Order: sequence, then C-alpha cells, then structure tokens
Amino acid sequence: MIEDRKRPPLTDDGLDDSVLERHLSQTWSASPGFWGALATVDHKVIARRYIVTAFVFLILGGLLAVAMRIQLAWPEARFLDPDRYNQIFTTHGSTMMFLFAVPVMEAMAIYLVPLMVGTRNIAFPRLNAFSYWIILIGGLLLWISFALDAAPDVGWFAYVPLSGPEYGPGKRADIWAQMITFTELSALAVAVEIVVTVFKQRAPGMSLDRIPLLVWSMLVMAFIVIMAMPAIMFASSTLILDRLVETQFYNPAEGGDALLWQHVFWFFGHPEVYIIFLPAAGMVSTIVATFSRRPIFGYLPLVMAFIATGILAFGLWVHHMFVVGLPRLGESFFTASSMAIAVPAGIQIFCWLATLWLGRPVFTTPLLFVIGFIVTFVIGGLTGVMVASVPFDAQVHDTYFVVAHFHYVLVGGAVFPLLGAIYYWFPKMTGRMMSETLGRWAFGLIFLGFNLTFFPMHILGLQGMPRRVYTYQPELPWAGLNLFISLSALVLVSGFVIFFIDALRSWRSGKPAGPDPWSAGTLEWATASPPPAYNFRRIPVVEAREPLWSRSEGLAVTKGLQVDRRELIVSSVVEALPEARESSPRDSIWPFWAAIATSLMLIGSIFTPWAVVWGSIPIAVTLIGWFWPKGTVEDTS
Amino acid sequence: MMPGKVLRGGVAQPLAIALFSVALAGIATLVGLERQPRQYRIDPPVAAALDDLRLMPTGIGGAPPEVYFALDKPYETSAYDLSQGKRLYSWFGCANCHGDGRGGAGPSLLDGWWLYGPSTVAIAASIRNGRPHGMPAFRSKMTTDQIWQLAGYVRTMGAYSASLAAPSRNDDKHTRPAENRAPAAILFNEEPAPSPSERGPPS
Repeated sequence: MIEDRKRPPLTDDGLDDSVLERHLSQTWSASPGFWGALATVDHKVIARRYIVTAFVFLILGGLLAVAMRIQLAWPEARFLDPDRYNQIFTTHGSTMMFLFAVPVMEAMAIYLVPLMVGTRNIAFPRLNAFSYWIILIGGLLLWISFALDAAPDVGWFAYVPLSGPEYGPGKRADIWAQMITFTELSALAVAVEIVVTVFKQRAPGMSLDRIPLLVWSMLVMAFIVIMAMPAIMFASSTLILDRLVETQFYNPAEGGDALLWQHVFWFFGHPEVYIIFLPAAGMVSTIVATFSRRPIFGYLPLVMAFIATGILAFGLWVHHMFVVGLPRLGESFFTASSMAIAVPAGIQIFCWLATLWLGRPVFTTPLLFVIGFIVTFVIGGLTGVMVASVPFDAQVHDTYFVVAHFHYVLVGGAVFPLLGAIYYWFPKMTGRMMSETLGRWAFGLIFLGFNLTFFPMHILGLQGMPRRVYTYQPELPWAGLNLFISLSALVLVSGFVIFFIDALRSWRSGKPAGPDPWSAGTLEWATASPPPAYNFRRIPVVEAREPLWSRSEGLAVTKGLQVDRRELIVSSVVEALPEARESSPRDSIWPFWAAIATSLMLIGSIFTPWAVVWGSIPIAVTLIGWFWPKGTVEDTS
Repeated sequence: MMPGKVLRGGVAQPLAIALFSVALAGIATLVGLERQPRQYRIDPPVAAALDDLRLMPTGIGGAPPEVYFALDKPYETSAYDLSQGKRLYSWFGCANCHGDGRGGAGPSLLDGWWLYGPSTVAIAASIRNGRPHGMPAFRSKMTTDQIWQLAGYVRTMGAYSASLAAPSRNDDKHTRPAENRAPAAILFNEEPAPSPSERGPPS
C-alpha cells in the first residue's frame, strides 16, 4: 500500500462519467462472496438486511397474534395452555416493539438518510454493520428460547416483582432483559450514526431549513433514542443483577423500590412510542408532498412539531402508571402533559391535510396508506386523549380498551405509513415497481381488517375484558365480539399475505422503475435505482428544499473528491458549507467478530456473572482488531 | 472472493464458520438446559402415583415411585418447581423451626447433614409423615405435588454448587446468600459443620 501514497491522488476533477463510475465502483463496492457480504459496510446493503430481518420478525410476531386470536375466539378454548399463552403475548409484544418497529424505522433511516442528504455512506459505517449483527443475534436469542419453551412470560414491560427474582423463576425474564440489551445497543449505535450523518455529512448547500422532513424526523428520533435508551439499559441491567447476583434495586425490604422499575421502564417506554411514530411522520410528510405534487404545507411548523414531540415525549411517562397510586398533583401534571402532546400531533395532521387540500393528489398505493394512517391515527389519538384522563384510565386500565388504543396508534401510526413507505421507496431500493393492483388490494384488506379487528376491542374493554387473559368463561358477554375479532383478523392477515406476495414478486420480476418513477423532489431520486455502491457519481449541490423540483436542467455538483479511496464531504452543521474531504472506512470483518464476542458475553451473563469478566477478553481482542491500523489509503489522512 | 483483503489468510474462514455455529449451538444448548415446561395442574393419576413412596421398614429412606423417574425427576431440576417449593417453604411456616435454612428449633437444612438420608424421597417422607421431636406431618395440609416441590427445594437449597435452575433471592430481608449463589459453599466452606451428635439424637 506504500506505493499508493507516492502516486498523486486521483480526483474526480475532469474525469468523464464512465471512467469516474468505474473508479468509484472499484473503490466503494464490497468484495464478492460470502466473506465480502459479512464484511460490507455499505449502508444500503445493511439497511436492506435490517428491513428484511424486521419484516421476518413482523411475520413471526403476527403468527403469534393469530395464535392468540384462535385461543380467544371462543370461551374456554384449549388451543393454548396458560403458560404458553403468557410466553406468546410477551414474545409478540417484545418482537413487535424491539425487533420489528424500532429496527425497521432505523433501517429506513440507514437506507434513506445518507441518500437524502447526498453523501456516500453513513457516518461510522462499521458501527452500522456491528449494530445489525447485534440485533440479529438478539432476535435469535428471543426466538430460540421461544422454540425451546423458555421464552419470557412477564409481558413486554416485564414489571417487577413479577419479573424479579422471587416470582420469575428460571431464565425467562433474564432472556427478556438481555434481548432488550441487544436491541438497545443496536439502536444507540444507529442513533449516533444518524445524528452525525445529518449534522456533518450533508451535501453542500443543504442548510438546516432545506433538510427533507424525513431526515428531520429521523434526526429527532435519533436524539430520543440517545436519551431514552440509557434508561432501559439501566432497567434491564439492574433487573438481571437483582436476579443473578442478589442486588437489591427492586427489593423494598432492603431499601430498593419496585416502583423504580415502572419509572425507568416508562421513561424509556413512552419515548419509544415516538421513536416509532416520528419516522412514520417523516415518511407521511414525504409521501404526501410527492403525491400532492406540491411542496409540503408548513415545513417550519412541521419541523417544530417534530422537535416538540421529541421533547414532550419525555414528560408524560407517568400516564402509564395512573393506577399504581401516585400523588394527585403528579397525576394531574401528567394528564396535562399527555394532552399537550396532542397539539404537535394536531399540527402535523393539519399540515398534511392542508398539503393534500392545496395540491392535486394522485391516489396511488403509498398515498392510500397515508390516508389510512390519518384515519386510524386520529382515532388512536382520540382514545389517547381519553385514557390520558385519570378517572377514565382508572376504569379501562389493563382492559382491551387499552389494547385497542395502542394498536390504533402503533399500527395506524407506524405500520400504515411504513407500508406506504415500502411501496414508495421499493423502486429506489430494488429498481422495480410494486404492483399497483395488488397494492390497492393489500391496502383495502389491511385497512378494513385492521379496523374490524381492533375497533371492537374498545367495546370489549368497556365491557370489562382484561388484557392478558388466556381464556374467559362462557357466562361472560364477550364471546360474540371475540369471535368477530378473530374472524376479522383473517382479513387483516390476508392483506399482509398479499403485501408480502407483491413484494417478493416485484423484487424478482417487477416493472423496471428508472431513477425517479414518482417525479419526486428529494435527492435520493437523483441517482440510479437501485443506487450504486457510491450513491452519487458526484456529490450534488443543494439550492432548494426540493432540489429535483427546482431545477429542470439537472443538479449542480461538486468536484475535487478523491476517487481512489473512500472519501466524502464533511460540511458545517447549520449552513452545510463544505469543510473538508474525509475518508470513509473500508469494509471490515471485525464488526462481525465484535458482535459475536459481545453476544457471547451478554448471553453468558444470563447464566453466570463471570461471563462478564471472561467475556470482556474476546471483546477486547475484536475491538483491537477493529481499530488496528490496516495501512489502507483511508487511514492516511 | 477476496477474503485476504479483510481477513489476512485463509484459516480465518473455516474458523469463522465454526465459531459462529458454535455460538449459535451454544445459545441453543444453554437455553435448552433451562428447558422447563410448566404444568400448573398435575394429572390426578400422576399425583396418586407420586404418593406411593416405597420406604424402608425403618421409615428413614426408600425409593421414589416409578413415575418420579418417568417424569425425569422434575422437582429437583425444574426452575418452576423449585421456586414453587421455595414459596411453600414460607407459606407453610418451615422457617419457624428451620429459620432461613440454617436451622433453629429444628435442624439446619444447609449443612449437608441429613438425619434421614439425603434423598428427595426421604425428605418428602419427612414432610408428608412428620418425624419425632417436633416435625409435623403435612399430609393433610398439602397436595402430593406440593410436598414434592417442597422436598425438591429443601433437597437443593443448601447446594455447594448451585444449579442453573436454583431460585434467586426473595424480596425480603437479606439474611443469607440466595440458593443460586450456593449458600452452603459460602456459609460453610470455612469450617467443618458440627457433627449431628452434638445437636441431639435423630429419633
């Protein structure tokens, strides 16, 4: 590699396009083969893996939901025994929250943020590769334990003392706690990458007020992750310490506090909702603008609403704990703050409606999912305001009303926009269009099936049916609605089946999409579909909020980047003035090894505290390997 | 394939595959060790069979019923049954005489000395039938599987090396290391336990 240094660096200055592309793809492409695939740090490849993995977990979690619906379809059913039912609802919730919703939103950020801000790779690409392996192994941990009849059975929020050492025998709650540690680790890594990518790697000219709304929402999401995840990391670590080595964090008899668990869990758990919702809001903003064929109405209010949501998200966790017995004044405060979050949510809804109203909307599948989102999310938001009031919450707490509410906000607020986003960005990710006909069927069935499944749960809740019961007696007036819900779930499932068939079929043999099938305005559509390993031939210069709409004769571009090593532009935080050419790390297998070593330590710590001591040695070895200078050209500046 | 670029050398590949599979298999085995189907209600015929202790004429030790082996000795190895046993230990007032396991009015359960032998069936018999010098019979107060759960717990509560299924601490005052910290090893490794003759006759 020494001879490389003697040669003058080769820049893109004056190279013609085909020569430039050849050099760039040689520099940026991953090595072929199995090991090249394990070592790649290309944000698009990793994001694709993340998305596929998350959707596999969605299918698995969905199958668990189907199992629960079969069990609850009629009174005193014997399809599942109570112990298996406990494991199923816990694994369903944990999978959907930690292995599907959060990772899939992060994955969309990993894929889209570098493209939308016009850079060649995400910041800290090796950390990105590491984060994927970590979440994959965390998911395997949960699902292997489920297959072995040893899955957590303490609910997705694992309240002590139920999950504590006295009442949670075996290793089930420990598996839950360490699965959480895996997902937090991965989420924190991704969050840091997103913040740095957005702040320091934007294309020249993309000042803060020209950042696409999706990128804004991902940025706020990343900050929420950074502030919220340490709370749950504390919670899961102290829980496992209590269980394994007799610490007394949650033991009231020794000065601990069981309520502490609820506070630290929900201090993370409520922002978690916005970690899932804000990226969806960004997706909605993008899709609405593109298909209304006009810039988004109220860019500044929307950005402010995102940020306000991110801040308020940390001020309302106690509304999950209203019936636990807290001071009245505290409850009133958290009622007020919970209702206050309806304000930024309302601003967002009205901005989207105004965009639709003022534009000439084209009702393609992505926009249909957005309309579905607006309807279901508003219903979920309204029941949210209802349960924010203490007297009402005291009545419906732990009933199916709450189940209905959070499925409306989570499925309505995140899954609908996500499916729309998949239809919208699928052409970019694969180079092929998804089917519009199947898309409409999928939307129709999912929308109908979802509402028929979950709306009656409000009524069941008001009739007093509690959550998390594995069966109910025939004398209770719940059987009819439960059967109806279970049948409606079939409609919902058939919608998802069509969606997955469409996705798989289109991936193989969809209509070629071309670089910009929707005539959209943001930068990711300025490159080929799917984008080459280096994203952009030349880094664009941004002069407007929708760079592709404001210029008819093509984007202005920068020049002077080196092409014989991985290099990208670092720009200033506010105005995105170019500051430096910075190298971007090469592929490396070490993040994979580091993830394996970390996993061995974390899983070992379920069984013995010594795993932390001995497990730190392989981690140290892999980290040394990771950071050891390899003498590549990227190391030299 | 250009693995040399990232890996330096060809040995790394098979090594990597091996390590990854070992890791996965390791996860599966470790979790598998903890495999613990829970049964909340035992089948009545099984319960009746479990009641059939085959004690020696002295009433001290004996053989467990055949069904105990058919069930794979769940009461000593399953985390759920052990934790139920621990709960029964406090519900049925065992601590009134045996303290936190170190004994009081009754003998210690941690020191490795078993007046009627160390087998689970002997302990189950002690609980079910009672023993002289104050050990009451619980036959009419507990179900058969509860007696076995308690016996399994008592049998393992003083283990010198804790099993992975051993219960953890209670949400109570901390008086001794929890079962999964191998209390006997910590409490009694320092000096030999006193011989039983120093604490009075067994019967």
